[in-house]
This record gives sequence, structure tokens and C-alpha cells, in this order.
Amino acid sequence: MNTAKRDWQALLTRHEMLLLYVLIAEWLFFYFAGTTTNRRGVVVGFGTLDRQFDILRHSCEIGLLALALTPVIITAGIDLSVGSLLGLCAILFGQLWHDGGLPIPVAAGLTLALGALAGGLNAALITALRLPPLIVTLGTYSLFRGLAEAITHGSITYTDFPETFLFVGQERWLGLPTQAWIFFVVALAVWLLVHRTTFGRTFRTIGLAPEGARYAGLPVARRLALVYVLAGLIAAIAAIIYTARLGQAKADAGTGYELFAITAVVLGGISIFGGTGSVHGTLLGVAAIAVLKNGLACLPVVMGMNAAEEMSGLLTGALLLLALTASVLPKILSHVRSRPHAPAP
Amino acid sequence: MKKLLHLCAAGAVLLASLVTASAADAKLVVAMLPKSKGNAYFISCKAGADKAAKELGVQLLFDGPTDSNAAKQNEIVENWITLGVDVIAVAAENKEGISTALRKAQKQGIKVITYDADAMTDARSFFVNQATPEGIGQGLMDEAARLTGGEGEFAMIVASLTAANQREWQKHIEARLKEKYPKMKLVAVRPCDDLKDKAQSEATAMLSANPNLKLIMAICSPGVPGAAEAVKQAGKTGQVKVMGLGLPNENRRYVKDGVTDSIILWNTGDLGYLTIYAGVALAKDELKKGAKTFKAGSLGTFSIVGDNILLGKPFIFNKANIDLFDF
Repeated sequence: MNTAKRDWQALLTRHEMLLLYVLIAEWLFFYFAGTTTNRRGVVVGFGTLDRQFDILRHSCEIGLLALALTPVIITAGIDLSVGSLLGLCAILFGQLWHDGGLPIPVAAGLTLALGALAGGLNAALITALRLPPLIVTLGTYSLFRGLAEAITHGSITYTDFPETFLFVGQERWLGLPTQAWIFFVVALAVWLLVHRTTFGRTFRTIGLAPEGARYAGLPVARRLALVYVLAGLIAAIAAIIYTARLGQAKADAGTGYELFAITAVVLGGISIFGGTGSVHGTLLGVAAIAVLKNGLACLPVVMGMNAAEEMSGLLTGALLLLALTASVLPKILSHVRSRPHAPAP
Repeated sequence: MKKLLHLCAAGAVLLASLVTASAADAKLVVAMLPKSKGNAYFISCKAGADKAAKELGVQLLFDGPTDSNAAKQNEIVENWITLGVDVIAVAAENKEGISTALRKAQKQGIKVITYDADAMTDARSFFVNQATPEGIGQGLMDEAARLTGGEGEFAMIVASLTAANQREWQKHIEARLKEKYPKMKLVAVRPCDDLKDKAQSEATAMLSANPNLKLIMAICSPGVPGAAEAVKQAGKTGQVKVMGLGLPNENRRYVKDGVTDSIILWNTGDLGYLTIYAGVALAKDELKKGAKTFKAGSLGTFSIVGDNILLGKPFIFNKANIDLFDF
């Protein structure tokens, strides 16, 4: 039992190490291929500090959603509604501030509460009615986006936010993009929860064997509920950061973000069937996708290649499939190696 | 494990050195942002822009959202800022939203010009105005009145209720309606999000909700063929007229079938061409604030009113002349 456990952990470490190598290779490639000196003699492209900060800035929202999804997926659940909830929260925040006349901090606080409440709706449907998370959040995925569109009639855009608020999304604080600090704090909190508390460790137990956990006396429903409420809360944080970065709140905010976040989580080595995975894996997954996407966007100027958007989708998919194949390869190999002893048919 | 790491790094460096060899020529870089990349209107703008870029010997980057997505436009502009392009030419989806990013670009010494749909005036140097909103609004309304004999109900399909140029055109259409055609009545205005199938379903809904409808006017390019398809499928060809702003190629079939009566537009290729010429002239300091005219290559001289470079009068395409144009 003990060795089996150690093997399992070794595999996990291996996946994350593999991802780290991929990240380093990507970074080096773009550093050399995506940097150039422009007509005015200024170094531009991937190899500039501004660019690195941009990568960090642009990964905060998807990174937050990936963090929100990490505990969810570890418990063998899924939350497809986080991207739509980001949109809804952005609209609610804009409305509370613009139409409600509330000061920004109060509007932000209320938005976080509403995000948690929306997560609570997912939690209630999943735990009380015992509906599958995929179905419930598929429903709220449409519901939240639909609400955001209904509130704004699909046409209102909230803009003209005060400078002090835009500071959160567009400026730097203590050397880093302001929102990166928020992202790091949330990442640390989720990491501590998942890896350093007994409470968080039960997520894995629930993911591996929910019935077993129930018989062992764990309050499975309550733990699951917490995970979805947390996801709603983090989606609301992402919504506020998104609004501050773009200086506008519109009903289409965060469309499709949930899929990027799920990709990052799975790339980070978390099994979609639950029970395994780590927060640092998720962070590496987010970084690998962000560097790829942002690096590709540098290539048009440097290489005259004009299809960054299309390429990034293609390569993200390829990267995910490669990483998944690489992570199950040792298992398959050991399986094949143990087979020659079986009698030939 | 360490070996693998070295291998990865070596591979990356090798690949990178292969591609850098072909890079780094010091051409002026002009980045052009459409409202949406796949829209035929902007593709035809690009054709003119490509021609201008070739004549001027500059590198043209053309990128935009795949749908009309204001947030995505900001991200693309931010990317261009860190890439240090020389000129950014923008058709703004959201006037206020994009201006934050454009002001940032100007601070970094990048020249900003807008075309098709303007941003806030302090966020760009010039706006290449395809036609004055007044000219377009009046042209559309006059043509609609001519087609209906100046009386009866009509409805409008717009791209979105927020896009600045759409709102502006609508304002002038309504002003002209009030002033000159008291017997006509505007019964509905619906957005189609720049999508043909959405326009079609909106038009179908309009037809069933308003049995006395005499004409549908679409002021976004996917809207006209969308409305025409709806009228055709409803079997109301000739009974409900279709007209609006659009591209000849997208509407050719419907114009020839007699479903669509007139298409009103400017020459979009010329719009792209003029935009690039003006942008490059800005970057080379040849076009300055207060200029009254501007000469753009083979197209000749254009007049400038304030900070608007004017492309000219709108043009009406119909059954008689549509085959003379291919864009």
C-alpha cells in the first residue's frame, strides 16, 4: 500500500516536472524567436519586461478561474458556470457602482457576496438535490450569462470608472501588476486549503470515493457546498479584476473563459475524475497556456506570421493532448512490460 | 530528468535561431484593427489597405476579434503596444472602452488613427470618415422614401444598439424621417450583432409582428442579405422591399432576384487604402493637425474637416449597376 502510494506521488511529481520543462522550453523559444529591435531602435516583443508583466496581467482572470476550479475538479465535480458568473458579476458590479451610486469598495464587497451566493445556488442544486455537477452548472452557465444579458439588454456597457479603481487593473504596485498581488494571495489561500489543511485533504477523499467518504463519517455535502461557494467567490474576484483591466463591464465579459480554465487545470495534472492533483500543477498549467498565447502574439511583428489567434488555439490543444499522453505513458509502458508473461492466445 | 531539460532548452534555442535569421527588417509597421475579422466589409477594407501597404513599403498587421467583441479589441491593441508598432488604425466597437487602450498607445509614441467607427477624439489624431453620418442617414432615408412612395410602415436592423456609428446614423435617419416624410412610420429597430442568421430571424419576427410592413432597412452589412433571405422565405418578395448599407457581393443574388432593391455604400477598398496612407503620413510627420487636404497615392486628394478626413459621398448600387463592382 505504502509503495503504491509513493509510486503514485512520483508520477504526479513527474507530470508537474514535465510541465515545468515545457514551460521553460516555451519561454526560451519565444525569448529568442519573439524578440526584435524595431525601426526606432527599441527592443520590442517577448523579451521585454513589459511583456512579461503583460503575460502576468492577462493570466490573472483565467488563473483565478482555474484556481476556483481546482478544488471542484479534485472532488470529481465540474463548474462550467464560472465564465458566465464572471460576466454576471462584472455587470452587477458596474450597476451597483454606476446606477446604485455606491462607492467602489462597497460595490466590490457586494459583488463578492453575490458571487458567493451564485456559487451557493450551484452548491444547493448539487448537494441537496444530488444532481450531477455537469448538468447543474451547464444550466447555470446559460442562466448567469442570460441574466447578464437581460439586465443590460445586451447593449449597456459600464465605463468611466475612477482612476483609483483602474489602478487595480492597469497599473503596477510594488513592481508587479496590481492584480497579480490579488492573484498570488488567492493562489496561496487555495494552496493552503487544498494541501495544508485536513479539511482540504478530504476533497481528494471525496473525489476518489464519495460513498466511502460518507460512510467514514465525512460531511460530504457540506464540503462539496463549500467548494462551489468558493468557486463563485473567486469568479467574482476575477470579474472585478477584469473590469478594472479593461475599464468596462459588459455582458459578454469572460465568454469562453471556463474552457481555458478547465484546460489549464487538466494540463496541470488534475484528473477530471477527481481525487488527484495539486494547486501548483494548476498554476503551471495556467502559465504554460499564457506564455504560449502571448508568445505567439509576438511572432507577427518578428516573423511576419499573421495568424497568432488561430495558432494559439491549435497549439493549446496539441499541448494538452501531448501532456496527457506523456502523463499516462509510464503507466501504459509498465502495463505492457508486465504482459509478456501472459500466455499467448 | 536533467538531460531532458537540456534537450528541451537546446531544441528551443536552435529553433529560435533558425527563425530570427529571417526576422528584423526595419519596415514601418502599421497595425489595422477591424470590428470583426471575418466580416466581408472589413475584408474588402483590408484589400485596399494591402494595396496601400505594398505601394508604401510598410508591413501591415491585420487582426481583430472573430466576433464584434469590444474586450478583445482592447487586448489586441495592448498586444500591439508592447510589440512597439508604429501606427495603429482602429474601427472602434466601443468608443469609450477602446479609448483607454488607444491613449496608452499614444503615450508610448504610437500614432493612432481611426476609420469606419471613431473613438473618443482625444484618443486618436484623425478619423477617416467614410461619409458623414448626416450624408448616410439622409441618403438611406431618401432612398427608402423613394422605394415606398413616401408612405407606410418600415423597420430597421442595426448591428448593435451600442456601436457609436450605428447610433449616429440612426439619429440622422430619424431626423430626416421627421422632417420630410410624415406619412412614413418607423415601427421597429432590432440589433443583429453583425450576424446574418440573427438578422434573418429578427427580420422574420418583424414580418410576422407587422403585417403592414412595406420596407426593411438594414444599416449593417450582414443585415441586408439576412433581411432579404427572411423576406424571400416568407414569400413576400416585392411586397416588402429590402434596402440598406451593404456590400455588392453579399447582396448580388438578392438584387438580381428582385428581393433587395438598393444597396448604399462607399467604396470600402478606398477606405482601407486612405486609412493606411493617412496613418503612414502621420508616422512620417507629413500629415499634421490643421491640414486642410491630404493626398493619398493613386486616389488623389481628399478634404479634411477638423480632424476628419472625408472619403466622399455614399453610392447607390442597384440591379442596373451592381455588376460593375466586385467587392
